[in-house]
Amino acid sequence: MGWDFLKSSFVFVIIVIGFIILLLAPRIMTVHNLGGYYTPKTEMTYKENIQAFIHDFQTEGFGENRYGTAVLEELQAFIKRDLIIVIPAFVLSIILGTFLGVVQFQFREGPFGKIQAFFSWIFSSIPDFFFYIAVQYALIKLFYVGLPQFNLYGNDQWYSFILPMIAVMLYPMLHISKFTFTSLENEVGQDYLRTAHAKGLRTISVLKHMLWNCLGSLLNQTQFVMLYILTSLLIIEKLSSYFGAGYHLYGSIINNEDQRTLAFILPYLLLMFMTVIFTKVCRHWLVPRKSGDSR
Amino acid sequence: MKLLTFIRSNPLFFLGSAMFFFLLYIAFFGKYLPAIDTKLKEVDFLWTENKIPLAPPYEPSEQFAIGTDRLGRDLLSLLVLGAKETLIIVFAIALVRYLLAIPLAFFAHKNKFGVNVVLNWLNGFLSYIPTIILVILLATLPPIVLSKTRPFYLILIIAALEVGRVAEMIKLELNQLSTKEYITGGNSVGISNFRLLRKYYMPFLYGKLLVNFVGDLGKVMFLLGQLGFLGIFISHSFIQTDTGAFGFKNTSLSWPTLLTDAFRDLRGAIWIPFYASLAMTYVIFTFNILAQGIRKLLK
Repeated sequence: MGWDFLKSSFVFVIIVIGFIILLLAPRIMTVHNLGGYYTPKTEMTYKENIQAFIHDFQTEGFGENRYGTAVLEELQAFIKRDLIIVIPAFVLSIILGTFLGVVQFQFREGPFGKIQAFFSWIFSSIPDFFFYIAVQYALIKLFYVGLPQFNLYGNDQWYSFILPMIAVMLYPMLHISKFTFTSLENEVGQDYLRTAHAKGLRTISVLKHMLWNCLGSLLNQTQFVMLYILTSLLIIEKLSSYFGAGYHLYGSIINNEDQRTLAFILPYLLLMFMTVIFTKVCRHWLVPRKSGDSR
Repeated sequence: MKLLTFIRSNPLFFLGSAMFFFLLYIAFFGKYLPAIDTKLKEVDFLWTENKIPLAPPYEPSEQFAIGTDRLGRDLLSLLVLGAKETLIIVFAIALVRYLLAIPLAFFAHKNKFGVNVVLNWLNGFLSYIPTIILVILLATLPPIVLSKTRPFYLILIIAALEVGRVAEMIKLELNQLSTKEYITGGNSVGISNFRLLRKYYMPFLYGKLLVNFVGDLGKVMFLLGQLGFLGIFISHSFIQTDTGAFGFKNTSLSWPTLLTDAFRDLRGAIWIPFYASLAMTYVIFTFNILAQGIRKLLK
């Protein structure tokens, strides 16, 4: 466990360094006048850029944004808004996804399960941005008809996070549901199930046993779920004017604010890292061992 | 009669192919349809009933079936005329990705040139950082921004970033196949690696590759849509205006370009991002259904 943790931390550090190296490639261009021709050229070489970054970092840390506010200060406000979406979306997509998967498995032979499978397939093919825009469009039309109006955009209201959250978690939830369904199906026919049924266990208790055995493969998906949520968040925050860290991350990349970009991506990378560690801890403590396996 | 039974036993494949052929028809012959304005006339203003000039964009109406964009161009015509370019880009990215992935997977399977390590790190990197951020970082590099062949570089970048995922999938298939006896047979006869890949491995992989390839087309479309919202396109040109200033001019008709101003359009001309992303959703659906259909067909 300790060794595993060290290894993950090492990978994390390398990934952060890799990202910084990619980030620091010179991008700022100025236009030079060479005998009548205007040619754009990069201001600094790669090496100069890295040196400047290290120097700036040592003297002023993450620095200030264009309006003189310390980056870390603004980051605190923004990341809070992000977490309001990310954490519920992550937890809900895993819990609801597992639940939907179990329901679909239980009713897989009846019409209900078939209908559910159909709908979860349809919805997992819809890109989240289209889903979000379509819901907006529908709501605007409904406002005309007489639905009581509420604020669709921004982050001022207490409910502002709900719509982006649903858009962000839709696909990961269905992914988990599909995954649960498939791994439950793989368990069918195992000996322990026959024993459980023969002993007269109720269906729900049998399902609990099965789910416990599927936990290992489900936990493999947590990193994907988190990555997907964070990726979508960038787009959905831009569409909904929800001013979180994702919204500003994109802006600072485009404006070549290297320190600010790093400050804004680090929480994302940390979230990913925490997911990885969380998964490892869960696997260590919760997942039942097959006979003969060693931890 | 035979055809009917075929359709009935493979409804998904049939539906997917029908949707796909419709897409192809629109992409290649759509410009000959009567409702399509091939010149993409920019309507500067329209008179309202009260004789007030009204500036674009216009809502969906009788004149414009699904509205116009901000320049007053008919949105339906834009979508139809942009279909070909969009599809070609999507195909190109997926094709380049698979062409790169097959040899990489084979080298990784044979444990040669350290490909395994590279692929592992690439996959590890991408499982931490969203792909779109990496695409933005790479696409804004000056040599690529200024290049005349920028579209090719961008296609290559997008293809290469996710090549690890595909190569990993193919590698697992190769690993599975390599336990088969006929592979051992081929090895003991002493054939070259290239021939081994082409004649021994590949024939068993074509089906799986096709299914995954078609599925990937949908994924690429999704990624291009996401990039469109962030204002990264495959093709735009870097131009110098009269005063010597530089700027980007969008010269392409592909669908993601319609999404650039989405965050502004959502508050007014919501039909522009809606129908543009609807078209993309159609493409994603088509390829998802087709992939499922082919998988069922091959079973």
